[in-house]
Amino acid sequence: MERRPFEFWQLAVIGSAGLLAFLAIWELTVRIGLVDAFFLPPPSMVLARMKALATGPDAVLLNDIRMSVGRVLAGFALSVIVGVPCGLVMGISPFIRALFNPIVSIIRPLPALSWIPLSMLWLGIDEQQKYAIVFMGCFASILVYTTDATMRVDPLLTLAARNLGAKRFQVIRHVILPGALPNILSGLKVVLAIAWTCVISAEMVGANVGLGFRIWTAKEWSDTGQVLVGMLSISITVLLLDILFKVIEKLLLPWQKVGNEG
Amino acid sequence: MSEALIKIESVSKEYATRKGMVSAVKDLTLDINRGEVVCIVGASGCGKSTLLNMVAGFIRPSSGRILLDGREITSVEPRCALIFQNYALFPWMTVIENVSFGARLKGMKKAERQELARSWIETVGLTGFETAYPSELSGGMQQRVALCRALANEPDVLLCDEPFAALDAMTRQLMQQELLRAVEESGKTVLFITHSIDEALILSERLVVMSARPGRVKAVYTNDLPRPRRLEVQITERFLELKREVWDLVQEEVMGSITQKRG
Ligand SMILES: Nc1ncnc2c1ncn2[C@@H]1O[C@H](COP(=O)(O)OP(=O)(O)OP(=O)(O)O)[C@@H](O)[C@H]1O
Ligand SMILES: [Mg+2]
Repeated sequence: MERRPFEFWQLAVIGSAGLLAFLAIWELTVRIGLVDAFFLPPPSMVLARMKALATGPDAVLLNDIRMSVGRVLAGFALSVIVGVPCGLVMGISPFIRALFNPIVSIIRPLPALSWIPLSMLWLGIDEQQKYAIVFMGCFASILVYTTDATMRVDPLLTLAARNLGAKRFQVIRHVILPGALPNILSGLKVVLAIAWTCVISAEMVGANVGLGFRIWTAKEWSDTGQVLVGMLSISITVLLLDILFKVIEKLLLPWQKVGNEG
Repeated sequence: MSEALIKIESVSKEYATRKGMVSAVKDLTLDINRGEVVCIVGASGCGKSTLLNMVAGFIRPSSGRILLDGREITSVEPRCALIFQNYALFPWMTVIENVSFGARLKGMKKAERQELARSWIETVGLTGFETAYPSELSGGMQQRVALCRALANEPDVLLCDEPFAALDAMTRQLMQQELLRAVEESGKTVLFITHSIDEALILSERLVVMSARPGRVKAVYTNDLPRPRRLEVQITERFLELKREVWDLVQEEVMGSITQKRG
């Protein structure tokens, strides 16, 4: 027999309980001296530190978040704008696919971080280098996801459309594109996480603003509290962006059954 | 009868496979008149779908030719609407969007094509489901939408490849009635493939029995059961007589193809 799934409010209560217990244990371990606060500041201290960084006289946190998010989104958008159309063409045309597949298979296995040295040599450490690093890290993946999604559109639907009188371009616009969209979007969700990795690491290596930079400088000063604040900020921002992405997905795919994901 | 609407002239189709050439249809000749309902029955794998796909223009015959209104079919032919066994509705379009898709491709204005679609949706009894997505409909309802989509595109010919095979017996009979009504009203020419001799006898004016693979015409019956047909026709003497006759023929072919494979 299958258990009835929990209601939303039940999930919220159980989840909060778990989170609170975790924080309480953490706080206690430090308070009773099991762990040195220098290595692991308790949640209360992290929160205070966060407040100072967000609102104090030299409040930098919000600007860091703004900069990092901007870099992620700009680089991500760039690679989507270039990658999705290229992937579509590769998915549709066997010739183009055969032509570019070897190049893509050489580029794709490279971890996003391995592009950092080259991009710094080419572009220094200004904004363009950040966009470039995201683009290099994401482009090949987007290409592959989109090509794959395009090729997986049910050929029967293409036949049905042509039977109703659709010309080649109409088939692409009305069948291939909407048919591939769900798989393209789930690919993009994965790639968005790659974009974050790219930006944070690029900021750690060479930048003077941004969450990655903030964490790295805090490490140089052995400021564990600030390191944790930076990490927490990343996690909250990514969570919010994820929710935004899901909303957009729902708007774009009203026909997909709801509730197939947790 | 004037010139036939569809002329299938000694058409053959061979497929290249790993084991060499497979002859699916061989030297098949058949004329279908305007406004006629022709059903094709035959053993599984005898080339029925292949034949239908050639009439739709999805595949080209290896030899011979198929004429529609005197012109050879050389590419996908929107005047011959194909109704698929698994509906092939666009899952991202609502019922009304699916039905009005053909009109949209032709550049008809939205209000106009929706009005057109609405009247078709009404004739198949789906009013109230205009904005539902296919995934929210039952199999029978989806097949009605598919029928609707084909009819709304105003084709000359309806090609049906076992469209009701996936439906339960009750829904299937309902759909047969639905199709008969739509065809009687519109005077469409229909080429209908089925495994079921009952279905063929209920729907057809002429019934073609295909031989085992490679498929050719084994026999043609003129179905003289009274029209308009109602389901009661299934319990008349004449129906059973015809059914026995066709059944014997099909059986012969099925047995033939089995022993042929063993031999
Ligand atoms: N694309 C293809 N490539 C190679 N062989 C094929 C192809 N399509 C069909 N065949 C072969 O041609 C023959 C006829 O196939 P077809 O699908 O036309 O049969 P059918 O009468 O529709 O059968 P069923 O009643 O089971 O649907 C079969 O032997 C099949 O294996
Ligand atoms: Mg078939």
